Parts: sequence; structure tokens; C-alpha cells
Amino acid sequence: MFNNAMGLILADNKKITLGELSGPRALSAVPFAGRYRVIDFMLSNMVNSGIKNVGVLTYNKYKSLMDHLGTGAAWSLDRKNDGLHILPPYVNSEATNLNGDEELWGILDFLRTSRTTFVIVANSNVVLNTTFDAMIEAHEKSGADLTVMYNRDATKFGSPSYILDVDDDGFVKDMLYNPQKAASNKSSLGIICLRRDMLVDIISKQMSHGITHFGIHSMVKMFDELKVYAYEYAGVALRINSVQTYFNASMSLLNESVRDDLFWSGEPIYTKVKDEAPTLYFETSDVKNSIVSDGCRIYGNIEDSIIFRSVTVSKNTTIKNCVVMQDAHISENCHLENVILDKNAFVRPGVRLVGHHDYPVVIGKGAGI
Amino acid sequence: MSRTDVVAMILAGGQGARLGVLTKRIAKPAVPFGSRYRIIDFPLSNCVNSGIEIVGVLSQYQPLALNTYVGNGHPWDLDRNNAGAYILPPYQRSGKSDWYKGTANAIYQNKDFIDDNNPKYVVILSGDHIYKMDYAAMLKQHIAKGADATVAVYEVPWEEAPRFGILNTEGDDSIYEFEEKPAKPKSNLASMGVYIFTWDVLRTALIKDEADPNSNNDFGKNIIPMLLSEGKKLFAYRFSGYWKDVGTISSLWETNMDILDKPEEINLVDRSWKIFSRNPVKPSHFIGKDGSVKNSALTDGCRIHGVVDHSVLSESVIVEKGAVVKDCVLLPGVIVKEGAHIERCIVDFGTVIGKNVKAGPNVEGETAYTNHKICSQGISVFERGLIIKDDAVIPANSMIDSDIDVPEEESVIADTFRV
Repeated sequence: MFNNAMGLILADNKKITLGELSGPRALSAVPFAGRYRVIDFMLSNMVNSGIKNVGVLTYNKYKSLMDHLGTGAAWSLDRKNDGLHILPPYVNSEATNLNGDEELWGILDFLRTSRTTFVIVANSNVVLNTTFDAMIEAHEKSGADLTVMYNRDATKFGSPSYILDVDDDGFVKDMLYNPQKAASNKSSLGIICLRRDMLVDIISKQMSHGITHFGIHSMVKMFDELKVYAYEYAGVALRINSVQTYFNASMSLLNESVRDDLFWSGEPIYTKVKDEAPTLYFETSDVKNSIVSDGCRIYGNIEDSIIFRSVTVSKNTTIKNCVVMQDAHISENCHLENVILDKNAFVRPGVRLVGHHDYPVVIGKGAGI
Repeated sequence: MSRTDVVAMILAGGQGARLGVLTKRIAKPAVPFGSRYRIIDFPLSNCVNSGIEIVGVLSQYQPLALNTYVGNGHPWDLDRNNAGAYILPPYQRSGKSDWYKGTANAIYQNKDFIDDNNPKYVVILSGDHIYKMDYAAMLKQHIAKGADATVAVYEVPWEEAPRFGILNTEGDDSIYEFEEKPAKPKSNLASMGVYIFTWDVLRTALIKDEADPNSNNDFGKNIIPMLLSEGKKLFAYRFSGYWKDVGTISSLWETNMDILDKPEEINLVDRSWKIFSRNPVKPSHFIGKDGSVKNSALTDGCRIHGVVDHSVLSESVIVEKGAVVKDCVLLPGVIVKEGAHIERCIVDFGTVIGKNVKAGPNVEGETAYTNHKICSQGISVFERGLIIKDDAVIPANSMIDSDIDVPEEESVIADTFRV
């Protein structure tokens, strides 16, 4: 357990949209894996690394994120010292006098009041279960100014992807954004560690050069001025940067090896507790190869699907290759295939909805069909 | 009702000996129930949902698991600034110290706790019933009738009345007599073990009861008859919702099965009266390609590759390929290995049912584990932390207990571990 670091999570990403899924919420608040939100993984990783001070940087659509995070109690981050800090754009009393650098001022304030040596900064479009002890150790050993975590994830990264060109000593010598032809199979996971005072210096310097936006890869790109070390992560890391990759990441949970890596081999992943009842399977139900969460009432058939909390699947209905989010209700005699149903969606009797596994149909939050 | 007008006291110190090995290491209120819950979740959630925020939990027998489970009361919103859940074990004091001698004595020993909160009314609850009840509605009647004590009653079938503490009432529901397990009952109103007292009245009665060396210091046997003899105003409060005592193996099993057979009766999905519980922090459950689940209740962390029919599974239960689980109650972390076939079994924390084990009413005969005193209706019970030998054959009504002396060749236990 390492407790000399603080964490900073960038809760949204202006380069990524998940269509209707990220319409009502920040990227990190998108529901995932039956009972989680995407941010639960990074928050838990930090807490499981012994980090007790976590800032969550948001810029808009943060209502559902705030509802979810609350006081941080679910992650044991409701602390007197440190704990969870939500950092919306920093606006002082003269709200009309915006310079565009409010976001950076907010981060600087947060960083300056801490006493830790290191900071872990992470994007929120990647799902993995790890602790950062080994990364920080590698960072110190390498003598780098900044260390970025990457994995070798075949070639289909989707956009945005940041491909690292790494020299023989493990230092980054080039970084390519969405390259046509990848220089390597090393793709950044959007997680960096560096000294806290170094990060304060970098941000101050960026502000004096008129930069107003805080981004992880804008720092990795400083490989000419800074020694940037690349640290390989060998475990499962699921990138979420489009509806398609969200769907693929969800479906990959049906592989036992992925589930084992994310949920059973490491530390626990925490999330907001909902106190739902147990799920009831009735006589007419038939469920195969699926993840199902608490509070569901299952009368129908489910195959190769991810079912969130308190979902009702009625008689003579088939759900195949679908992601069905919390409180969705699917009436009798329906057939849904390759569909993502957002929260509170209501499907009336007899509806047939079939998407393609390369292009799933998305039904928005609260929609009635 | 002001927040501090009422203090609830949950009697959670009893051993629950009729649950056999299930309560060897933990107190009865901490026994898992209904897939997601512990028995004590029901009175605790009822308190919170009724607006009672000061809850004393009296623990004595094997308190460790119960104390850890209740903790600071956070899962029930009972971590308040000037209220919340308080674990109240018996404690040493100058002069005379004692274990809790009876239900009334347990409250007597904690009268300082109640006095410090200075309530007008005290709600006394037991930690071994499954029910949803609005204590605020009962208190409303208590106040409206100007009662000194109100006892919640449940109409039981006449033929079952001799098993209960029966209250005999007048037309206005005022109580004139209490009879413990009467052979010839005059009424079918059974006491639910849920009492509301005006604290001044109870306080005086408890002190008087404590001074009587012949008293059993019990609410039903002593306090209620004493108040009646003194001419105090006692009323029955009629409750008609779902209410089950889970004090025996067969009633615990039946009540679990009620969740499957009549889910609308206890109605656990009612969001206006949630039953809260401590969360296990496990991922959603998974049913594999070879798995089959019907008529069953499952919760987080379960991984099912075999057949589960008409069973209640707690968190993180694993059923391997080719295994069959029917009419069972499996508590957290139980593993059922390949090819095992178990029916009507209650399996405690973490126990591993070995490959091809056969257990249930289809297995005939008797062994050293057969226990007709605790087990009935063909139900078998397995202690926590056992590894059951592969191919073991276990007849109905067995209690698999590592403390029973069994010759090596007859033993079905390969090993034990601490959970």
C-alpha cells in the first residue's frame, strides 16, 4: 500500500462522445458492467493503492456524477483530512470575468493544498483493476520526470488513441495521435504519475503560455523537455471511446478471463450502494452466459447480455447480446438483439428491435418504445 | 413525534440454539437470510423506515459477527450525529456485574443508556423475525389509547395458538391476560415480541422486577403479567402483514422459500420500505452457458455453471458445471463442486460441497450426523467452513457438525477452515 500519492481523475473527455449514452452524463458516469459507473474503477484503483485524496475534475453534465459520488463514502473517501474533492470549473465571485483558465486554477489550488510527493492523473475512458504501487516504483527507478501507462492492445484502438514510440531504455521519443499507420502497438492508457511539485510547475508554465485546458496527453507530448517514461500494463484494460467500443467492452465481460482480471484477482471495485432486493428468476426464465445484477425480475430469456439493477424481463421475451441498464422494463413478447437500453427505458409488448453487433441500437435514457 | 421521543432496543443477545450449527459462531440475528440480508436487517430497517433513529442493539452471545455487521450503522442510515445504532453488550460495573439474565434484565442493565436519551417511549424488538412493520403507526395507537404498554399481536390459526404467547383481550383490544403457550387458548392473538412502553412505566417495572429474586426477568413471563396485575393500561396492536419467526431450521428454510413462492407477501422490491443491508462489494452475478437458474433468488458475486432450482443463494456462491442445487439455502461463499446433487440443504458460510456429493431427501438411511431434534422435514444443515469429501452420501435431516465424534470411515468432512 502506497500512501504518498494523491489522485486526479478527469471525469469527462471533450474528444469522446458515446451518443445518447453520454448525452445526459459525463463519460465517467456512464453505467458499466451491471452495477458500476466507469469512474468506479479508477476511483477504486486509487483507493486500493492507499490514495486518500482524490480530485474529480468536471466541466459540465456533472449532475449524475455528483449523485453517484456523493460524499465519497462508498470508496471510504468521506474523510476529514483529504477525501473526495469534486472540482467543477473554478469560478470566483466575478463570474463575468472569465479568462478560460478557471479549470487550471481549480487544479492548482487542489494540488497546492496537498502534502503528498506524487500525483496520479487519469482519464476516465479506461476500465481496469490495478494498484499504482508498481508504476510509481518504476517511475522512481527510471529517474523520469513523468511516467505514462500503456498497453499493447492489438491495433483497433479507436479514436482518440495515442500511440507511443518508445526507445530502448523505455523512454517516449514520439507520440502519435490517431495515426494512419501505427508506429508501435503501444497505446497510452491515459494514466500518468509524476511528482506533485512537477505538476504544479508544468501547469503554471502552461498557464503563462496561454494554455487553458488540462490534458494528460498534452503533458506526455512534452517528451522533448521532460524525461517521459513508458510503463507497460499487462492486465485487462478496456477502452471506452465510442458506442461501439463501449458495447465491445461490455460484451468482453462475458469472457471468464476478463471477469477474473477485473473482479476476482485484484482488490475490490467499489460503487454506490443501492440496497436492491435479490434478483428473482421465475419458472419461465431461461438465462445463459449473462451478467445479471440485483433487484431484477426475470420471466423471459436472456442470452449473452449484461443486465443492470432492477430490470424486468417479461415472459416470452428474448434479450440477446444486449446491454440493459438500471430500471429498464421489457414487456412480454419482445425480441431485442444487439441493443443498448439506457436507464428507465420502457419497451412495450411485442416490440422487435435488432441492431448489428458492429452497430448496436441505442435506446436513450427514459425512452418509451 | 420528535426524533428523540423514541428509543428502540433490539434484543439480539440470544443464542438461537434451535438453529444448530448455524449459530455456533454467530448470534441468530446475524444469520444470513433471503440472499441479500441478515435477519437483523429487518428490525433495523423497520426502525429507520419508521423514523426511529436511536437504536440500541443488545448483544451477548457470540457478538463478534453481529458487532462487525452492525458497525457504525451506516448501511441503515444509523450513523447520525446525535443518534444512530449503538451496540450494547453487558459490561462490568463497580459492585455487581452480570450477563443479561433475561430480556427484561437486558433492558434493565441498559436503563442508563435509555435515560441518557430521555425518550417518552421505548420500542422493544427481537432480532429473530422477518417482517416489515411501521412502528410509528403502532406508537400512534399507543398514544391515542393513552396506553402504558402496547403489544403487537398477530392472528395465528387456532390450532397453532398453543405454540405461542397468547394475549387475551376485551372488545376494545385492551389486554386482560397473557398466557405463555396455553394448552386451551382463549384467543388466537399471538404476541410478536414487539412492545412499546411508556418509558416511565417500564422503568419502574424493570426496577421492581429486578428486585424479585424469583423472576425470570422476561418480558412475556414477568413484565407484562406484572403490569396487568398492577392495573396498568395494556393494549394489543393488530398486525396483519407478513410475519415469520425464523427460530428453527424448518422455519428458516420455509421463510427463505417464501421469497420464491410468494414474493409479493414480503415484497422486498417495495422502494418505499426498503430493507437495507451491508453490501458485500462483489460484482453482479454471472450465469454461464451451462448454467440454469429457475425459481430462485440470487445476488452479487454468484457464479452459476450448474443447475439451480427453487433455491436462495447468498453472495459469491459458486455452483460448478454438472452440479444440481434444489430447494436449498446457500449462505455466502458456498461452493458446490462438479456433479454434486444437493436438495433441501442449508449450507453455512464458505463450506465446499465436494464432487458428486449426494445429499437430500432422496438419500435414505441414518448416520452419526442424523439429528431429528434440530432438523426436520428432510432438511439438512452444514456448518460453516467445512470441506465435504467427494462422493459423500448424506441422508436427510443431517446436521454436519465438525464437533461430532464420528469414526474416520463414516466422516463426511475432509477438512475444516476458518471463515
